[in-house]
Amino acid sequence: MLRLSLRGLGARKLRAALTIVAVALGVALIAGTYVLTDTINKSFDDIFQTAAQGTDVSIQARDAVENDDGNVNTTIPASFAERVERVPGVAKVSGEVDTQGALFDPKGKRIGGHGAPTLIFSTQPAPFSPLSYPQGRAPKTDDEVALLESIADKHDVKVGDTVSVVGSGPRQPVRVVGLAKFGGVTAFGGAAVVVVTLPEAQRLAGTPGQLTGISVVAAPGVEPARLRDAIRRVSPQTVAVRTGKENADKNSRDIRDQLSFLRTALLAFAAISLFVGAFIIFNTFSITVAQRMREFALLRTLGASRRQVMGQVLAEGFLIGAIGSVVGLLAGLALAPALRALFKAIGADLPSSGNVVETRTIVVSLLIGTVVTLVSGLLPAIRATHVPPVAALREGAVLPPTRAHRFVTPAGVVMGALGALALGAGLFGGAGVTLVGLGALLVFLGVAVLSPKLVPPLTAAIGRPLPGLMGRLARENTVRQPGRTAVTASALMIGVTLVAFVSIFAAGAKATIDDAVTSALRPSALIVQNTDGFTPIPSAVGDAMARVPGVRHASEVRYTTGRVRGVKGDASIAAVDPATLATVFEIPWEQGSDATLRTLGDGGTIVSKKYAKKNDLKPGSRVRVLTPTREHVTLTVRGIVDDRTELFGDLTVSARLAHDAFGQRQDALVLLDVDPSRAAAVRKSIDTALDHHYPIAETLTAKEFTDRQAGQVDQLLALIYVLLSLAVIVSLFGIVNTLVLSIYERTRELGMLRAIGTSRRQVRRMIRYEAVITSLIGAAIGIVLGLVIAVAIAQPLKSDGFQLAIPVGQLVVVMVLAALAGVLAAILPARRAARLDVLQALAYE
Amino acid sequence: MTFNDAVHATDLRRRYGEGEAAVDALAGVTIGFARGEYSAIMGPSGSGKSTLMHCLAGLDRPTGGKVVIEGTALSGLDDADLTKLRRDKVGFIFQSFNLLPVLTAEENILLPLSIAGRRPDRAWFDQLVDTVGLRDRLTHRPSELSGGQQQRVAVARALASRPAVIFADEPTGNLDSKASAEVLALLRRSVDELDQTVIMVTHDHDAASIADRLVVLADGRVDEDRRLDREAA
Repeated sequence: MLRLSLRGLGARKLRAALTIVAVALGVALIAGTYVLTDTINKSFDDIFQTAAQGTDVSIQARDAVENDDGNVNTTIPASFAERVERVPGVAKVSGEVDTQGALFDPKGKRIGGHGAPTLIFSTQPAPFSPLSYPQGRAPKTDDEVALLESIADKHDVKVGDTVSVVGSGPRQPVRVVGLAKFGGVTAFGGAAVVVVTLPEAQRLAGTPGQLTGISVVAAPGVEPARLRDAIRRVSPQTVAVRTGKENADKNSRDIRDQLSFLRTALLAFAAISLFVGAFIIFNTFSITVAQRMREFALLRTLGASRRQVMGQVLAEGFLIGAIGSVVGLLAGLALAPALRALFKAIGADLPSSGNVVETRTIVVSLLIGTVVTLVSGLLPAIRATHVPPVAALREGAVLPPTRAHRFVTPAGVVMGALGALALGAGLFGGAGVTLVGLGALLVFLGVAVLSPKLVPPLTAAIGRPLPGLMGRLARENTVRQPGRTAVTASALMIGVTLVAFVSIFAAGAKATIDDAVTSALRPSALIVQNTDGFTPIPSAVGDAMARVPGVRHASEVRYTTGRVRGVKGDASIAAVDPATLATVFEIPWEQGSDATLRTLGDGGTIVSKKYAKKNDLKPGSRVRVLTPTREHVTLTVRGIVDDRTELFGDLTVSARLAHDAFGQRQDALVLLDVDPSRAAAVRKSIDTALDHHYPIAETLTAKEFTDRQAGQVDQLLALIYVLLSLAVIVSLFGIVNTLVLSIYERTRELGMLRAIGTSRRQVRRMIRYEAVITSLIGAAIGIVLGLVIAVAIAQPLKSDGFQLAIPVGQLVVVMVLAALAGVLAAILPARRAARLDVLQALAYE
Repeated sequence: MTFNDAVHATDLRRRYGEGEAAVDALAGVTIGFARGEYSAIMGPSGSGKSTLMHCLAGLDRPTGGKVVIEGTALSGLDDADLTKLRRDKVGFIFQSFNLLPVLTAEENILLPLSIAGRRPDRAWFDQLVDTVGLRDRLTHRPSELSGGQQQRVAVARALASRPAVIFADEPTGNLDSKASAEVLALLRRSVDELDQTVIMVTHDHDAASIADRLVVLADGRVDEDRRLDREAA
């Protein structure tokens, strides 16, 4: 029987190839994702392991509460290094400072600043050797730096060039004296690494006399773990003490955690593609089972059991699944670098050295591809067993409807409803991503099951403008087998739904940001922020801005994190300048007034409406907050704000308190109150001052700021579109496959049409129309479904100020693209149909 | 040779395959079919009757000789021209009806005109419908019609564009005797009353006997070509 399956596949090569592609694309994304993330992880592991060589024990400053931005607020006094040195068993210690800043090439152009950070490391004496210098040497004085080799090469910076660095103070010209490797490699995930002397690093970090870490070498014969324990006994809670190896593992783990999001996201898109592929496999098998009814009946009359017939279909499914999985796996190896290039294009230059192919990658790819194919082929295989032997003798016999047939519509409704519930629970009940995925799956299945009922009316509506006899025939052919058209269209629907949902949601997000910022920011205000759009800027920028003539006030805003006693999870903490904020920002008071700001001091806080409601806080309530630097502060609620710009945190405190008690030394942004009578001139002098001293920052009007935010949303959107396009491509193969199979069924009809004078062009047009109708049905259902889901999800978000905006233009573009995709999908089937040999087609039975 | 023939073939040859395996389905057939003539082509299986019809209708390309339909030589035509020729000058009736299941009887009848983008002549259409006796079945789909009715639709379809010649390939092959008689009578009337030219391939002697002329092929050649005494049929 297996041989029969093989023969069957060979006899229907095109169909088999198209089905294999449907499996392979999803599998390719799975394999590609694993290879990419494994490779990145491996690269980082190597870097950290190499960097840890020479260090027996590593002491790192540790925040009590972790910041969202990954920065550590806590520092270690340099004196603690001396204390560690006195611990028995310690041979040598080296204090170090890791911080972040910005680097500018000899022409003053920023290096990096597109996603990857600029890391500033202090030099370390031998034997501590995370850094090595293939060219030049380590910096020895405050005006010398070494740069990571790859970054220097990429920006054409050579030893002897003068570059500049911005840390906590104004731009500082420094001379490049060496090109460095970190952890044995010349690249570090796209990050720019600047090596400076320890005192310079402390100055750039704005923390003189403080360290971020201490590396320790054990005396000969002393076990690192022993020494670690000894050091722990003398260490405060603000440091973490690990062996060199443990520290490398921890760094690897942190990177893994960060990358796991990437992996999950990519795998989700792979799952979508596979799900779409499953529709196509199901459809292909259903159609072929119907077409091969006589063959199955013949097998049955020759004595084959039902199980053997089913086995034959499943064996074919297994073969297609297995071949598709292998093809997908191989394609995935090629896809991994392409994915990397995709992320690089949006600024995340992930390191990778060769392709890491784990056994897990191979097993998972092959298993998932094969299982998905088998599961999708199961229902058609069961249907094949229902073919009565007598069908072999009767001409034009049709498959008997299954007993489950009349339950199909209720089942679709139930699936859709359950899916919607699961989706809601997953999104708002906090039940998690798995439930969201399951819900979406059920909704799609439910709609797909119901969609055969939508095919006739939608075909009539969509196909109406198609002119002439070919338009009429295309409409009729589309509704001839509504189930087949529905499944084909549903495959496309899935991709379109997600595209529609994402674009509607993104449009809403943009409108929300736009409205919130424009309405809250005073017209005279300017925003100063990092040119990269997200990392902090030195607090000195605000002071410098305040000195520019025409700037009436400069109001700084910073962010950190705290843990409120009795409340689960961390609270976001915003810090503002109480004296000036009201001059630039229209504070949406729920309780309190601008005067409330002045009462903030060191013990007051303003609470967001949402946080207050959730934790039952009122003016006068007291909260006790643990800060990243392990201080406990008691804050009294002074006011409540209902802010949609997210300028305010869960709790908002004074900037001074954030600095003193939370250890936050940098600003996220500075809002300037500019004399409106000479706004243009003032902005010009601001920009000159920034260019000169703080090229790390730039000024933006409210409009420019929201445009920038919209740009970031659009960039993310583009990435999602690219990843979703895979699912759409898979569904196009489905359209091709369905058309090819239906043309095969209609061979004689096409022969007759050609015989009585239909031109090839007319035949092609008819097939093209059919493809366009099918793809537009998918797109129409998809857009409506995407719209419904977006509206449903936006509803509860309205209280947070979310505004629903429907990007009509974009949705129209989606429809047009769907129509074009249909035209594209029709090319091959139309050509086949037009090339039919009329005589053979007429003789065909 | 008569230039007035609706269809004329000269030394028509059709060879399938090459070398030793080559088969001459037509080994030099010269024959003309006059306007308004009802011809039946008979012959045993493999005699070349279907090949002759296909070559005459421009569906198959002969390997030698030439075919002229209403003064147009088929040999010089490309696919697009042949298609146009079939559309305008040739009607087909098939053994298995070959109606489009998605169209109504009326739409099937008008199909050749729709393909050509021509407006139907209502008077002609009415006359046709009455001739084939399908007035009350026009809105039905093929699946709702009997075999005989379907074939009558097919006859009407072949007549709709008033072609120079109608080729009927075993038109009664799938019909019972009553339906067969109806369809044959219809073809007869289309010749007598509508002045059509009909060339019918059949292996049914009763069917052939309704024609004006009987051509019998054997081994790719014309074996017999005679006029039938219709009164005797």
